[in-house]
Amino acid sequence: MENISPSTLLMMVPLLPLAGAILTLLFGKALGSRAHLPAIAGIAGAALISLVLLVSTSLEVGVAAGLHAEPVRPVEMITPLWQWATVENAYTPAADTHAAIPGTPLSATTHEVRPFSITVALRLDPLTATMLSIITCVGLLVAIYSIGYMHHDPGYPRFFSLFALFVFSMTMLVAASNFLIVYVFWEAVGACSYLLIGFWFYKPEAARAAKKAFLVNRIGDFGLAVAIFLLWMSYGTLDFHDTLSANGTIVPGILGQTRLADAGGYQLSDAAGFAGGTIGTVICLLLLLAACGKSAQVPLHVWLPDAMEGPTPASALIHAATMVTAGVYLVTRCAPLFVAYPGALVMVSIVGATTAMVAALIATVQNDLKRVLAYSTISQLGYMFASLGTGTLLGFTAAIFHLLTHAFFKALLFLGAGSVMHSMGGVIDMRRFGGLRRVMPITAATFLCGACALAGVAPFAGFFSKDEILATLHSKAWPEAHGNHQQESPAAGHAQSDMSRFMPTALNVSTGTTAVGSAGSNAASVNDGLNSLNRPDVWQLLFSMSLVTAGLTAFYTFRAVFMTFTGPLRVPEEAGHSAHESPPVMTLPLVLLATASVVSGWVLWSTDWLTHFLSATPSLTFAAVAQTAVPPVFHLNLAIQGTLAAAIGIVIAAIGSLGRRSDGPQIERFLGPLGTLFANKFWFDQLYSGLIIKPLMLLATLAAIIDRSVIDGLIEGVARVPLAIGGLLRQLQSGMLQRYALAGVMGVLLMVLVLAWQLRS
Amino acid sequence: MTSLPLLQNALSVGAILFVLGLVGILTRRNLIVMFLSAELMLQGVSVSLVAWSRFHGDWGGQVLVIFILTVAACEAAIALVFVLQAFARTGRLDAAAWQSLRESSLARVVDQQLPSIDTLPPVWPTLSPAGVLPQADENETLQREHV
Amino acid sequence: MNPALFSPGLLLASAVTLTALGLWLLLPRGSENRSAWWLGWLLGAVALAGFVCAGKRLGGIGEEAVFLTVSLVAIVSGTATIVSRSPVYSAIWFALSLAGVAGVLLVLGAQFLGVATIVVYAGAILVMFLFVLMLAQPSGLASYDRVSSEPLLSAVTGAVLLGLLTLSIGRLSVGPATPEPLALASAASDSPATSSHAAAIDSLVKNHVARLGGELFGRHLLAVEAAGVLLLVALIGSIAIVSRGEPDVVDHSLDLQPLTATKQSQGGRR
Repeated sequence: MENISPSTLLMMVPLLPLAGAILTLLFGKALGSRAHLPAIAGIAGAALISLVLLVSTSLEVGVAAGLHAEPVRPVEMITPLWQWATVENAYTPAADTHAAIPGTPLSATTHEVRPFSITVALRLDPLTATMLSIITCVGLLVAIYSIGYMHHDPGYPRFFSLFALFVFSMTMLVAASNFLIVYVFWEAVGACSYLLIGFWFYKPEAARAAKKAFLVNRIGDFGLAVAIFLLWMSYGTLDFHDTLSANGTIVPGILGQTRLADAGGYQLSDAAGFAGGTIGTVICLLLLLAACGKSAQVPLHVWLPDAMEGPTPASALIHAATMVTAGVYLVTRCAPLFVAYPGALVMVSIVGATTAMVAALIATVQNDLKRVLAYSTISQLGYMFASLGTGTLLGFTAAIFHLLTHAFFKALLFLGAGSVMHSMGGVIDMRRFGGLRRVMPITAATFLCGACALAGVAPFAGFFSKDEILATLHSKAWPEAHGNHQQESPAAGHAQSDMSRFMPTALNVSTGTTAVGSAGSNAASVNDGLNSLNRPDVWQLLFSMSLVTAGLTAFYTFRAVFMTFTGPLRVPEEAGHSAHESPPVMTLPLVLLATASVVSGWVLWSTDWLTHFLSATPSLTFAAVAQTAVPPVFHLNLAIQGTLAAAIGIVIAAIGSLGRRSDGPQIERFLGPLGTLFANKFWFDQLYSGLIIKPLMLLATLAAIIDRSVIDGLIEGVARVPLAIGGLLRQLQSGMLQRYALAGVMGVLLMVLVLAWQLRS
Repeated sequence: MTSLPLLQNALSVGAILFVLGLVGILTRRNLIVMFLSAELMLQGVSVSLVAWSRFHGDWGGQVLVIFILTVAACEAAIALVFVLQAFARTGRLDAAAWQSLRESSLARVVDQQLPSIDTLPPVWPTLSPAGVLPQADENETLQREHV
Repeated sequence: MNPALFSPGLLLASAVTLTALGLWLLLPRGSENRSAWWLGWLLGAVALAGFVCAGKRLGGIGEEAVFLTVSLVAIVSGTATIVSRSPVYSAIWFALSLAGVAGVLLVLGAQFLGVATIVVYAGAILVMFLFVLMLAQPSGLASYDRVSSEPLLSAVTGAVLLGLLTLSIGRLSVGPATPEPLALASAASDSPATSSHAAAIDSLVKNHVARLGGELFGRHLLAVEAAGVLLLVALIGSIAIVSRGEPDVVDHSLDLQPLTATKQSQGGRR
């Protein structure tokens, strides 16, 4: 292994699943029931290499280094593969304005004419290594589970091919070091998701759900595309990392260390064109839109519940564990951009907390087990966004921490639901289940582990990650309770004056608003408006919402557990007499994931390894982020609050679901009009249908009528003219040889006559 | 006759023959007559060529006429074979019998019903009243009239 | 013919009109009309005279008597070729026309060609035509021999073409681009250039056949070979086509008219 460079290993991670996908595609038919072999081998290889890379990266970060001893050294490794596209002299800064030029200190180096060059480069840093490990490990377990789950499906090879292709795309997405490449694979995972949701394309619901997912994702993708345009305009590069230009100068990458080291590197010029950082805020909001689309945040969350029409393993991997976390990854990766514009940052939290609350409320009244889990996924992703929006180091790492634990327990829950569905003959309605723990004990036990982790019960993984999120939100809402780290940090003392302009900390909220607003331009009002949201009372509200959501989460999770696994045995008739525990190939991943769900939170929290490891990510070494680092403190009162919320939720669920059982929508009856609201999912679908789809259909119908009658009529009218002339000329074609000859002679004669007329002297 | 008038006269004869042949080939529907007309056109061209040959004192024209003779012979051989084949197929020597190339939506061109030829019965030579009137052979009469 | 009354253009135009009219009258049009037939011949003769006068190229009638005679024979019998109802008559008239053409060629000094035309055409090709006619022609007049295809239009086209040709032939004498007319050996010229041309023309007449043979097998040897191959190919081709066998079924769907109707009309004539 020593002979193989980390670059080669990094390249292998996406390449192995890709090779697996291609081999499965080519030889799937021939392999028959062993069609999973190439895909699983590829993903397993990638998982192994990812773990090796994780270890090697963590060794490079250095376990022993103290968190506060010195500024954390950024760790990154760039592996350029090949030059994808080059356009010479593409980026020319405006001659007389500094409109499109980054902040003042860097402007001296950005005044050159630059080529538009896209290098396909892979990067390895703590964030990427973590993401790669999550994706490949969860992907491997889900793939093994799929061997059993998809056993009798006619599209067996196709499923594994798409699965491996997805793993390839996702690993490329997190390993790419260029916004355009990120965009490419952002679309690629969307396409894989589309194909997997529509895997049973002959089912109309599946086809419609796939279409819906694709279209809703397009909105987010549009945001990402425009954000990339603006980034190119503003920074003149799309690379994350610093590159060397042809004449030897350093081109600072958008997230490169040159710009990270410079406090002004993300403050866009106040000169004419883009007023006072508005463009930066817009970029952040567009990136947020993209993240909302992919991570199913309000208001673009509507596709994810419908995506449950796909095979359950695909739901587990793509729509719960990995792909939907791409938005979280993107925001974390772009942390410096967001931190520089606190107005956008607070929007991230608002969106996240709102989503968490709304999705949890909807989940309480769902009766479809997979839909409950889908809404809980949305809700948990909302948590992560809320955490990201705090803009502190702990916020980012807590989001990734929660992402990691969530990947484990949500995959576990989905696979458990799939196991239930598998043995129950495809039925997924919880009202028709009961007491299944007697039939399928392993599934029940592992599902309970996952449910505890999701609900945030004390020793399980979800408890620790959720606690960190609550803690970081709490620190924003009541900063005095946590002490101000800036005053405690002597290293940041001298930088405080210029940092304070964009530090979204509670103390300088009031000054920060005026500082950014000092651009004095009307266009900055967006910024001001968003900044004005950055107040402790807003954060307090967000914290309260998150706390309530924690209770709701526990409620609906355990409602599902109680309805499915406890009480008298109820097996739907579709299952027949074959209700049984799933085969070992399906239960093994369940057990492994359950183990991870139990221990990962405790291990990572107690050692504080992940926080420390992630803080070496270049994006998070940005001074404004790094200085918000706090020592790992266990806030007992917060833990008690969270546990209390969870306990209340569980108790209510137990009261509601244990004991008396009926098939009626009892909770909705209990909630009254609110229940109707939740059951109709806040009328989001109806809203979109009425506001967007119906007018568009009307417009399309109108256009179709105009097209058919007016435009087609015109074209056909034009076409009828030669047709009529041809009809006349057709009469000449009598088939009579001598008439043809006569016509020929007359033609010649006509020409001779014309010539003779012209040559007359 | 001087050279130029001779040339012009000969060219005129050639032109007239050519035009006669052209009109024949355009109008007559009997395949054999059409070929005769074609030969007539060739004759007109031959006369013109020889006239120019004489006018310029050059052999080329005459040599070309020899080749025309050759080609005409070939053409006649092949064409007559085709005529025979066509006749075997349709039982007639009619150029208008072949209309397969017409537009499919058009009706076939059919001749008008021709009026019968109201020629007088042939007046055969009569012998002087002396002797007996010979009995005319019916078959021979039929064959002789209008070859 | 009063030149004051008939300008050359008018003369030519009336000759063209008369030609067209005469040809149209002569061509078979289904109904037989003796007087129209005679009128056609008359108009044709007048038109021919018109063309002759329009050309104004004939000198004294005595000098060109031979030429006039043979060309008249050629033209009249050529006309008769295309207007005869019976194809056998056409062939016979064509033979006479060939004789006339041969005479014209002789007048023009192409002795070999004159003879060859008679030998090859009248002796070989025409006989072949007649054989085919004997083989293929149904007894009596067929309906398609009694009608023409587009007679008027064709006659007008031909006449206009003839008018144009006459016009351009007439231009030869007056056009500036016309080369200096070459004199015959009999019409002596002063200039040496023309005398050399006269000698060349003379050479066409002297030792004619031998020199034509020399020309043919000297300069044009390759073409002669090609013509020989062409003849061989035609021979083989015609044999191949004939020996393929004839379809034994006569396709009566190709008939333009029920054969019974034709027979009826013929029967009526008998």
